[in-house]
Amino acid sequence: MNDIVHDPIERLLREDARRPIPDDGFALRVAVALPPARAARAWLKPALVLSSALVGSLLAWLFAPAGISLTQGFLDLARLQSQTPSALAAMGMALAMAVIAAVLVADES
Amino acid sequence: MNGRPEPADAELVLAIVAHDDRDAFTRLVRRHESMVRSVLRRLSRGDHGLADDLAQETFLLAWRNLRAFRFDARFSTWLYRIAFNAWLSDARKRREVLLDDEAQAPVPEEPGRAVSAAERIDLERALGCLSDGERAAIAACYYADLTHEEAAEAIGIPLGTVKTHILRAKAKLRAKLAEESR
Repeated sequence: MNDIVHDPIERLLREDARRPIPDDGFALRVAVALPPARAARAWLKPALVLSSALVGSLLAWLFAPAGISLTQGFLDLARLQSQTPSALAAMGMALAMAVIAAVLVADES
Repeated sequence: MNGRPEPADAELVLAIVAHDDRDAFTRLVRRHESMVRSVLRRLSRGDHGLADDLAQETFLLAWRNLRAFRFDARFSTWLYRIAFNAWLSDARKRREVLLDDEAQAPVPEEPGRAVSAAERIDLERALGCLSDGERAAIAACYYADLTHEEAAEAIGIPLGTVKTHILRAKAKLRAKLAEESR
């Protein structure tokens, strides 16, 4: 903008607009009127995800067909036997953990 | 002074959105309150009490809607729009507000007035004589420092109407000045 203003009205308006208004407690009044701070519950979502995963795992373990063992499943996978019931259960468990990790990472970012 | 540069508006907005940072918001309020309050004083025909109530409402609305700020305009422009809409909705509760009232008789030009005479004018009172649309255009372009295009978008009237309002408002202020100096 050109600082040399010849029109008196133009000059008057610009000078008036540049004149600061003293705060006089205004900013404090706004701060006081803000809604209360959000409760710091950053732990809540990870806790919910992990506890529901634990409950799901417990139910899966309780109702799984007899003879399925996660340890056996991982041993089967190590021997490249991926079609056994234990190996499938181990892969399902690993997939569930990966989903949980992805949810937590997405929430964090 | 510790020599650290003041954080930009965008940094403060991000701090508020990410961490509910109230100190950052207070810094934004202190940075922009003069503009918001002077715009609202002009729009409210010099009613400082009403203007400050609307300014407080403006900042509270900004706080609530900060996540909607998209950084595609200046933060001050976004804030001006909130302030203008707060004034408009308050004014419409009391009366009809015409922002694009172009069909008025032309105001005679009073050229060649001295600067010293202009300084005597009670600008606040003179601005109160303008129409709603003229005051809105003057508040946007001078007190909120918007371009004519930004003002047209914020007020919701055509660009040509903003330019007409500015010209007519300045002519009216000039006439008022001439009247006062007689």
